[in-house]
Amino acid sequence: MKTLRTSPLALTVIAAVIALVFSVIITSVVLSISGFNPPSVFQAMIDFGLEPDSVVNTLNRSSTYYLAAIAVAIGFRMNLFNIGVDGQYRLGAMLAAAVGGAFALPPVIHQVVIILVAMAVGGMWAGIAGLLKVTRGVSEVISTIMLNFIATGIVAFLLHEDRLATQVAGSNNIGTEPIASSGRVPGIPYPGAGLEIYGLVLLAVAVGVGFHVMINRTRFGFDLRATGLSSSAAVAGGVDARRMVVAAMLISGMAAGLIGMPQLLGSSYSYGLDFPGGLGFIGIGIALLGRNNPVGIAFAALLWAFLDQSSQILEFNEIPKEIVAITQAAVLLSVVVVYEIVRRLGLRWQQQAVAAELAAGSAKRSKEVAA
Amino acid sequence: MSTTERPKVAEPAFELHGITKRFPGVVANHDIDLRVTVGTVHAVVGENGAGKSTLMKILYGMLRPDEGTIRVGGERVAFGSPADAIARGIGMVHQHFMLADNLTVLENVVLGAEKLHGIGGKARRRIEELAKKYGLQVEPGRLVEDLGVGDRQRVEILKVLYRGARILILDEPTAVLVPQEVEELFENLRELKREGLTVIFISHKLDEVLSVADEISVIRRGTTVSKCLDPGEVTARELAQLMVGSELPVPELRESTVTDRPALKLTSLTVRDESGRAVVDDVSLTIHHGEILGIAGVEGNGQAELVEAVMGMRSPDSGSIVLDGQDIGAWPTRRRRESGIGFIPEDRHRHGLLLESSLWENRILGHQTERPNAKGFWIDRSGARADTRRIVDEYDVRTPGIDVSAASLSGGNQQKLIVGREMSGKPKLLIASHPTRGVDVGAQAAIWDHLRRARAEGLAVLLISADLDELIGMSDSLRVILRGRLVAEADPAAVTPEQLGSAMTGASSEGER
Amino acid sequence: MRRGLKTTLVMLTGAALTLSAGACGGKKATTGGDSGEGAKKTVKVGLAYDIGGRGDKSFNDAAFAGLDRVKQNLNLEIKDIEATKNETDNDKIQRLDLLAKSGYNPVIAVGFAYAGALGKVAPKHPNTKFGIVDDGSVEGPNVTNLLFAEEQGSYLVGAAAAQKSESGKIGFIGGVDTPLIKKFEAGYVAGAKKAKPDIKIDVKYISRGTDFSGFTDPAKGKTIAQGQYDGGADVIYHAAGLSGLGLFQAAAAEKKFAIGVDSDQYQNAEADQKPYIITSMLKRVDTAVYNFVEDTNKGTVKAGPVIFDLKNQGIDYSKANTEAIAGLQAKMDEYKQEIIDGKITVPTK
Repeated sequence: MKTLRTSPLALTVIAAVIALVFSVIITSVVLSISGFNPPSVFQAMIDFGLEPDSVVNTLNRSSTYYLAAIAVAIGFRMNLFNIGVDGQYRLGAMLAAAVGGAFALPPVIHQVVIILVAMAVGGMWAGIAGLLKVTRGVSEVISTIMLNFIATGIVAFLLHEDRLATQVAGSNNIGTEPIASSGRVPGIPYPGAGLEIYGLVLLAVAVGVGFHVMINRTRFGFDLRATGLSSSAAVAGGVDARRMVVAAMLISGMAAGLIGMPQLLGSSYSYGLDFPGGLGFIGIGIALLGRNNPVGIAFAALLWAFLDQSSQILEFNEIPKEIVAITQAAVLLSVVVVYEIVRRLGLRWQQQAVAAELAAGSAKRSKEVAA
Repeated sequence: MSTTERPKVAEPAFELHGITKRFPGVVANHDIDLRVTVGTVHAVVGENGAGKSTLMKILYGMLRPDEGTIRVGGERVAFGSPADAIARGIGMVHQHFMLADNLTVLENVVLGAEKLHGIGGKARRRIEELAKKYGLQVEPGRLVEDLGVGDRQRVEILKVLYRGARILILDEPTAVLVPQEVEELFENLRELKREGLTVIFISHKLDEVLSVADEISVIRRGTTVSKCLDPGEVTARELAQLMVGSELPVPELRESTVTDRPALKLTSLTVRDESGRAVVDDVSLTIHHGEILGIAGVEGNGQAELVEAVMGMRSPDSGSIVLDGQDIGAWPTRRRRESGIGFIPEDRHRHGLLLESSLWENRILGHQTERPNAKGFWIDRSGARADTRRIVDEYDVRTPGIDVSAASLSGGNQQKLIVGREMSGKPKLLIASHPTRGVDVGAQAAIWDHLRRARAEGLAVLLISADLDELIGMSDSLRVILRGRLVAEADPAAVTPEQLGSAMTGASSEGER
Repeated sequence: MRRGLKTTLVMLTGAALTLSAGACGGKKATTGGDSGEGAKKTVKVGLAYDIGGRGDKSFNDAAFAGLDRVKQNLNLEIKDIEATKNETDNDKIQRLDLLAKSGYNPVIAVGFAYAGALGKVAPKHPNTKFGIVDDGSVEGPNVTNLLFAEEQGSYLVGAAAAQKSESGKIGFIGGVDTPLIKKFEAGYVAGAKKAKPDIKIDVKYISRGTDFSGFTDPAKGKTIAQGQYDGGADVIYHAAGLSGLGLFQAAAAEKKFAIGVDSDQYQNAEADQKPYIITSMLKRVDTAVYNFVEDTNKGTVKAGPVIFDLKNQGIDYSKANTEAIAGLQAKMDEYKQEIIDGKITVPTK
């Protein structure tokens, strides 16, 4: 019995390792062809990636990646492809920054208000796609892509001196009014590092735990998973598919709204032209890599962030840092293939194991009968 | 490939001797002997889990035996893969079709066998030639998604023949067919036999086996208990006893438990499809507590839509649905289930199970809001697990545990799990579509028993089945559905399967209102 | 795709050449003496780009041209590092910190996006000199702000455009509507109105807000240029980086005029486009970088803003297309002198 339960998990880990090894091989080949020595390149990346500042950056970066991937995974768990995570994140972060900068509230309340605004905006934006799917049958893939464009337009419109933005004196940047210190989240010092870990890395952890609990321990999560595994069976089982679509999109959008929070409240305090975009798309890859599982996504986000971070040393050594993009693409591609193979093998092994146990049981029973 | 000489009658197509297959720690097959004569239909019968599938996988090269010999055409062989088996002229038609819906019949047949006759006119001619020769009429140019189940099966058989098979293994081929289609299939099999091909027919439907097989072998607990029985000399009852080693269950109700309290009352229920055609047309019926009402009909005459309307999965265009005096017509599915409707769906894979989830999670499905599965907002894992163990015990679900995935159980055991789940929590009304389809005789008897017991306690059942014996034996009253309308009423005590069958096709007007 | 790549390469090498050539005719003749001294010290110069990096045809490339000249003329060791996508302030902090820690001095940050990061890194390395292009908000004893009066040059090319126009309508294409590009627009509009008060100006931005694709999309640049020409404009000025290449294509196709930006785009344009490029507004990021390094090397660098404008030739216009610019120069030079003398104050918004 024990082997039946643990083997799928072991297989998953093996699959991830295989994918990683495969991608390292591909990267090595590319490096060798380009005339570099793979071991020394990897060594340089690892050395640099483990420096205290790099560790801090990796953690910070992975916290945003993690939130992005969770947002995507919530949709994936229900077979909904929320490509609009990026737009939900940007709109949520921008409006939250604007609200946070407009009022000074007592600490804690201030932060909570900002975070709630981000969630509300992100959720609302994704909810539009959910409603369109339910009422008009519009594929969420199409509508969320469109909503990304609209979000870009809205952000551009609002990020203007006449509206929500101000220009910093002497700077060519433009951004929302900086959030007062009452609304900021202090960083966590890391030994030896000049940088600090965003305080809201803990928010990412909390969201991961929340996601796990919601999916595995609540009725809503059960309905969500059931719909994702077999929507026909879920409907027959009394799940209101339309309501679930809207709810899942809302929650996914709320998580998307959180993506910008660690950075906003931990370092930039303002949504400006230099606020990073495209995180929602990275989230798709990381959710795939982490198999939509909160723990898996955590590892995937850390790996991704580590690769992004350690790639910075490559240029210092005159190696094009695009090499890392090849590694990342190879990991993703191979992981998709390997996971599918493992899934099928796992199912087959389980079926065989069940058949074997049953045969053993009936053999025992027949012996008992004979006796 | 186009051998036309008639083989000698007694020549064995293949022989298995002393086949033993061990899985780690257990023996799935032991000392199996099987001798199949060329140009016959040879039935292999046995309960689910008796080892039929393992045996067939060995013969088809999917598994390697640990001991024993296989001879094909007198020559000893060892198959490393299905490709080796095909090369020896052995082909398999799986229970679940492996066809690509969006390809044509021609494309499906040549897929993976392009080397034989290309993919163009030559291949088409070969298919037409085969179809004509064996009476397997399908148009090569049609899309598979437009085909019915029977046609799809013929495509599967064509696929195997196209690859040059002389020995065909058919795994539970009738499980998905309606009676008319079964008859057509048997006609095809007889045609194949006449052309000198050998057919291995795996089934546990004994009537069918008796009507089509030339020889019957029975497998029980991994070994052959009877070899090459003559269907003329055994009865279904004897076969069943060989299979299970015990009495054959009979679908029958002892005394009426019908009360005068209506449980479900449908009035002028009409459901239209997208094109506006009434697929359920003005259906009115009442099921009382303690009553089983059977609906007979050829598949596709509105049964599925009727069930979906009662379950709230499809909204009716007019008419009312009243459960225990309450109009539930506007209620969502969940509320209907919460108010005491149990549902055994026709297609358990599509509507009854989350195949990749564990058994205890499947216990929750459809009862997410009810105890012992949930406590308010939360899923009660330990409650659900405990109750799953109860179901596994009470309904004899053969499984090593409740953490295995539903997909790893055999069809019959999956069905027992569903029945157990739907009978939990004392439902008022059970919608049972083909409750014993694909279930072995032992499990069938158990399910009937459970239905009878619940009925005695006041359960109302809407029973839909393609098994006419089951319908007649288990129903307190019977209706016949044809093109969405209830066209006839029959008395289960008096009607014969033949009469019912002709009423189903609209040939008879006996008992019409 | 292939053609795009080819053009990119041509443009890249061309840009580097012209920029170096242009600078030779420039000021500061004291270069020669220092180069030997610099070599002995093995000074290492670090430069960090903004997103886009080398090859953007805009100031990243101009910055590299300056850096390259540092390597050639001053014989110093150089290192340039690009930004990663979706990076945050912390990544920029680490990049600058890495350069400073590894002994690079001076360190130059290209682009206003580095402002926040530099503000945190500069105090940690008091002995390292930092330069930042296009930002005046960071202050520190070791921070030099390399600023440009883009509006002044834009004012002059605006005057050129208005004079050249026969239809009475001219166009402006901005890459992204950032405050920086708005400065170009404001100067251009003011200059054109000065030369011809009734001139009509069609202003378009390719992308807006945080969407920076407007700097790298020649196809969209071409579509918008085509639209402005169709709408009656006959001279168009762009401040859209790589997207400006689309403007030149449209100009050649329509046989109407265009004005380049940042570097002398006449020099590296395709032959069929050359006649239509009247002039270019020159923003000498290369000069700024070179001078900053040179001054640091000599120890004469000053903290605080250094403004490059018409007066010190950090901003200028190109006279390379003598045929097209004939007859326009008189007024341009007149305005130029008035701006230098302080008689005209060019708006920045």
